[in-house]
Amino acid sequence: MYEAVAAYPAGDSTVSRQARTAADYGYDGLVVRTREADFDADAIGDRYGIEVVRGIEVDAADPQSAAGAVGNYRPECSVLLVRGGTNARNRYAVETDRIDVLTRPMAGDGDFNHVLARAAKTHRVHVEFDFGPVLRASGGPRVQALQGLRKLRELIEQYDAPFVVSVTADSHRQLRAPRELRAVGEQIGFTADQITAGLEAWGEIVARNRNREDERFIEPGVRRGRYEP
Amino acid sequence: MKHLPKHIRPRWRYLAVEIEAAPAAEIDRTAFQRALWYAAGNLLGDAGSADADLTVFGFTYADGIGEAIVRARREETAAARAALACIDSVDSEPIGLVVRGISGTVRACEESYLRDRSPHLVEEPVAFADDQRPAIRRDDVAELSLPEGFVAATELDFH
Repeated sequence: MYEAVAAYPAGDSTVSRQARTAADYGYDGLVVRTREADFDADAIGDRYGIEVVRGIEVDAADPQSAAGAVGNYRPECSVLLVRGGTNARNRYAVETDRIDVLTRPMAGDGDFNHVLARAAKTHRVHVEFDFGPVLRASGGPRVQALQGLRKLRELIEQYDAPFVVSVTADSHRQLRAPRELRAVGEQIGFTADQITAGLEAWGEIVARNRNREDERFIEPGVRRGRYEP
Repeated sequence: MKHLPKHIRPRWRYLAVEIEAAPAAEIDRTAFQRALWYAAGNLLGDAGSADADLTVFGFTYADGIGEAIVRARREETAAARAALACIDSVDSEPIGLVVRGISGTVRACEESYLRDRSPHLVEEPVAFADDQRPAIRRDDVAELSLPEGFVAATELDFH
């Protein structure tokens, strides 16, 4: 199971501190969302026994500037995430094959519907269930976040779109262990299996992209082999 | 009041909880209990919160690390775990916490899951991002004081 976190300078903890806590809580890997974060994945892996993967979360104002950033950052990272939160950005993200994850689709003014759910399935863009506000907000904003998660869950279930689960932690103190997330998920209407699948999906994205970056890869199902020099 | 006969007493489970906060944060048992009740009330509602009947039993905390034993009704351990996960701060100090395990008695809970860690803090400057920064260290982790605020790091970041 993997988790995806923001790290220093965008967050309050460095990548290695996040990795230490994540390994302690039983995660197998950690996706770093922060482009500016400076870390040595091998050293952290040797020390704490956790796989650290470079991801980049694109936070652009509109689809045009997001498209530029996607083109620039795609070769630099293993997991490319695009921050949702407006209808235009949500739609752009789920219709772009090069994007792996649409994050926080229901934040702010963002909304989701059956068209986007279908597009996410077609383009294999994972939609993120953001548990951050469930764990850290209270009152009205939390109620709205729960309503958003419920709507998103119903659409994702109906159209069988790919999804990931994360607590969007900025600091290692905001991380929670997988068992705790399963317990919270069951309280708010998810099944424990959905939460596990959502955490494992990060690892599947990483494996899929590593396979694509392999120089023997030509296209899905086609690899350079014995007969192709 | 006379206590209940054994077969109709409520059955309890004890959750071993490990707590981690900033070295300077002051957290005590009452504050943690209050945060737990708020978290349970907000997540589970009054009815669910009353069912889970969460009580902080043991509580030790010093200089950023602590351990607590939380009692819950036997059938409600999942709800108790969820409520604990929703505590994000105590007295507006952000805390990290994890449930290490669940036992049927307080003693088994302490013996199996709580490690009784000592804080052992050292205050010394460390090299981080090409500069010497004041820091509070414990084992291989440190809380650095930067102009923009505190940053948590490990010794892999010092260079």
